[in-house]
Amino acid sequence: MRILVVEDELKTGDYLRQGLSEAGFMVTLARNGLDGHHLAMTEVFDLMVLDVMLPDVDGWRIMQSLREAGRQTPVLFLTARDSVEDRVKGLELGADDYLVKPFAFAELLARVRTLLRRSVAPVLSDQITVADLTLDLPRRRASRGGKKISLSHKEFCLLELLARREGEVLPRSLIASQVWDMNFDSDTNVIDVAIRRLRAKIDDDFPAKLIHTVRGMGYKLEIEDDNEVA
Amino acid sequence: MKWLSRVKRRPLSLTTRVMVFVALAIGLSLLMTAHLVQQAVKRHFAEQDADELIVITQAVERALRAGADDIPRLPEVLSHAVSGHHGVYFQVWSPDGQLIYGPSDDELLTPVTLYTPVSRILAANLHSWGAGGNAYRGAITQTLISGRNYRIVAAMDMNFHILFLDNFRRSLWLIMTLAGVVTLLAAWFGVHQGHAPLRGLSDTMRDVQADSLHVRIDPNIVPGELRGLVDSFNYMIGRLEDSFTRLSHFSADIAHELRTPLTNSITQTQVALNRARSLEEYQELLYSNLEEQERLAKMVNDMLWLAQSEHGLRKPVWEQLDLGHEVRELFDFFEALAEEKQIVLALDGSTPMLSGDRAMLRRAISNLLSNALRYTPAGQTINVKLKKTDDAWVELSVENPGLEIPAEHLPKIFDRFYRVDPSRQRLSEGTGLGLAITKSIIEAHCGYIEAFSDDVATCFSIRLPLVTAGIGA
Repeated sequence: MRILVVEDELKTGDYLRQGLSEAGFMVTLARNGLDGHHLAMTEVFDLMVLDVMLPDVDGWRIMQSLREAGRQTPVLFLTARDSVEDRVKGLELGADDYLVKPFAFAELLARVRTLLRRSVAPVLSDQITVADLTLDLPRRRASRGGKKISLSHKEFCLLELLARREGEVLPRSLIASQVWDMNFDSDTNVIDVAIRRLRAKIDDDFPAKLIHTVRGMGYKLEIEDDNEVA
Repeated sequence: MKWLSRVKRRPLSLTTRVMVFVALAIGLSLLMTAHLVQQAVKRHFAEQDADELIVITQAVERALRAGADDIPRLPEVLSHAVSGHHGVYFQVWSPDGQLIYGPSDDELLTPVTLYTPVSRILAANLHSWGAGGNAYRGAITQTLISGRNYRIVAAMDMNFHILFLDNFRRSLWLIMTLAGVVTLLAAWFGVHQGHAPLRGLSDTMRDVQADSLHVRIDPNIVPGELRGLVDSFNYMIGRLEDSFTRLSHFSADIAHELRTPLTNSITQTQVALNRARSLEEYQELLYSNLEEQERLAKMVNDMLWLAQSEHGLRKPVWEQLDLGHEVRELFDFFEALAEEKQIVLALDGSTPMLSGDRAMLRRAISNLLSNALRYTPAGQTINVKLKKTDDAWVELSVENPGLEIPAEHLPKIFDRFYRVDPSRQRLSEGTGLGLAITKSIIEAHCGYIEAFSDDVATCFSIRLPLVTAGIGA
């Protein structure tokens, strides 16, 4: 998967390139709008991460040119300003997502993956299986090792989110937003408690743990693998 | 010209206004006084004259009666009738219109032909006429003596009176003008003096600086009329001082709140770098740094959020929503946490749909709920009550049992970084901006928030208007 990152801030550009490369993407970094515009128009990428505020050609211009050329490459905007007008403008111009600086890298990664998944044909399946954990989506039932696990509605939603994005680190804010539609940082450790309770039902009776805490970043559901360090 | 009327003119000065009114009043009353005095003097003269003319007429009548039988000698009798009177003239006319006695100058004949006789002389029916450069005043009477009807014309020289009146009028006007000028000067001085407390007040107000906001003006040292002004000024300064104090506390608090995580992070890093460590130790350091940095980022985000909403940069996105539904969603969110703390979340009542920003209101109520969850003892219940008050407002209250918040803290509880117990600063979660954000959200919705506390429970009460139409545009 090729990702174009247009970011003029040196440090941000560097860590975006490093982080995304280490997450397994091929990253091309443009450090100004002119280079970014040129790359966006001449090469093919699966996703673009554009900074809105660039000294020469801003992110909006780049995307406009892109859409005018009939290219539907998904675009994720990064901006330092958070105002409704900006958001609306970006989305009207055809941006696919919008992230306000400063953001957690895990959040960016999760959104990048969502966008890339969206551009691939969606998999419509009735069942998700991770190791011996099975989710029956229409009936909203979960079982592990053939043993039925009773979950509340929200617990099932949480497990479904983790399972659908198996192996991805999901930040707490993303979990709160996707499962409970709470789009703000709560002062409390609600998500940690919810995960702890889910874990008690999913993992406690089994030697192989599936739900993992990635310290400082969030949670992921994965078949345990000793080699991997977040 | 149309534009001329648009030009805003500076209002007339207070002194000018007062002076115009005083001048009008004084002028009018002096004019009236002068007029009355003049009339009174004139009337007085007329009455004096009338008295004298009566005396003369009576004397003439007596003479006529005495000499009526001897008509040829009548003029001689009459010539002695009036003596001792100066500047007095009289004529006696026979019934057939012959002048029996008296000066026959043409001028003095005038009244007989002009005026009808009266039976009694009064000040009111005297006549004045001019003759030969002199002015006369007189009266004509008719008297029946021995069957004959005589007419008597009595008159007196009025030049003296006129001269006196002229002089009198001149002095009167001079005195009145002087009195007017003196009064106006006195009034001007009075007004000027009257404004002295105002100037003093202005000087005091000018001396108020940012560091002397504690200055208050004693309302008892100014005249009653200025009391309202002084009270308003004191009130204004009070509010200014309050927000100024809050602002400077706020700056100090920011510095303090930011310094703590920064110092932690710096010290940890310095200690770690002191000697070579294992990979795990470096990782541990990075994680620990990350936590502090996230704390900082969240605080800065919250502060930015508050600043933006205070400057109206963060406008609510209006939509119709049901508060009961939002509260239930939030209960759903906090359910796990509440259950773990063995706290029950209860909702009571409902409200009609109202317009508001869903995400903002969720955030506001969520802050109240997480606050309540933090302070409610295990096994107790947090009660959220919804109701529509009769005046088109909606009330949402979050009540939790727990320790009382002392009354002196209640008004400040919505201030940024304000903590009731300073010692638990680092222990409690959150940035200390939650309630400030809640308040700013409620105010963006044109609502109010209040906190109450007693030894049983603490209650946060939000009031939102049902009709916020017009704001949504």
